[in-house]
Amino acid sequence: MDTEVNDTELIAKLRRLDAGVTSTPQFDYQGMLDRHASRKARAQRRQSYARGTAAALVVALIGASFWRLDHQGEISPPRDDGASAALVAAEPRIVRADTYLAVAELEDHIASIDDALNVARVYAPRGVEVARLERTRAELLDSYAQVRYAEMVSANF
Amino acid sequence: MQRLAEIEVSADELAAARAGDVKVRGALFARLAPATLGIIRRLVRHAAMADDLLQDTLIAMYEHLDDFRGEAPFGVWVRSIAVSRCLMAFRSPWNRARVALDSWTEDPRAATESDGRTSDLIDIDRALARLSPVTRTVVWLYDVEGWSHEEIALAFERTVSFSKSQLARGHARLRTELQAPRSMALNIPLGSEFDGH
Repeated sequence: MDTEVNDTELIAKLRRLDAGVTSTPQFDYQGMLDRHASRKARAQRRQSYARGTAAALVVALIGASFWRLDHQGEISPPRDDGASAALVAAEPRIVRADTYLAVAELEDHIASIDDALNVARVYAPRGVEVARLERTRAELLDSYAQVRYAEMVSANF
Repeated sequence: MQRLAEIEVSADELAAARAGDVKVRGALFARLAPATLGIIRRLVRHAAMADDLLQDTLIAMYEHLDDFRGEAPFGVWVRSIAVSRCLMAFRSPWNRARVALDSWTEDPRAATESDGRTSDLIDIDRALARLSPVTRTVVWLYDVEGWSHEEIALAFERTVSFSKSQLARGHARLRTELQAPRSMALNIPLGSEFDGH
């Protein structure tokens, strides 16, 4: 197409496009109600799983706190030799559920952006899409570093 | 196909639908669903996601029938629900990640919809598909649905200048796409989906 495309022509084409397409839904009224009911049931199941997991986490955290209180006197001060690092690693860790989810989501997102970047670089190594994905990745990494830092500060508080 | 904004519903039908008459609700679905899906498919290119949004829109419509005050045609009210559902979907972080990945693959259902259309309409459809979802929505709402910049700004919770700049950018990109040789065109959305201006 060599001719200049002006706005009026563009709008006329868009309107013709609107008039020319017929969209047929993949379900009827009853089908929609069935889809809606099954989605609602799935959401309720997910919610009850999430509640169960949250309750289990709370119980585990409370249990771990009591365990620490009970064993506080028994824990000897850290030694300066090389074995102290191994001892610390062997101790039970309390995972912070709030930041854990955010970190996992950020890691997943960064991984998906990496995949998209790999494909984008094949098609246009210096393209707009690559630049955009790299920008998004840098922002995500920044957020990731901030969450990790907050986690570290909160753990030492 | 009748445009969604032109679909009217009589007071009797509305009263029966509000009362929960299954037959009338089914008839309403049959009248509204194709046009509603039409506009959703223009804004959201992913077929499965469009089906989900159609379902969300019509369920919301049935649940809020009492809120319809009759100040505009019924179809206009349904269209505003559909557009707001689409915008909510665009804002979802899952959708952002999916758009970044899916932009590299053709939607098979979109390809079959091209059948029977002239080549210039197929070209503009493809060019439209390559716009970011936000720009595409602004272009479609302004140029085809006849929304004003103020209405678009309100729907996006942004300023009027946001709507104007998105429209200008969308037109410029569509022009570039339509002038580019077809062999050069890749299925890559241009620009960021959620860029501010």
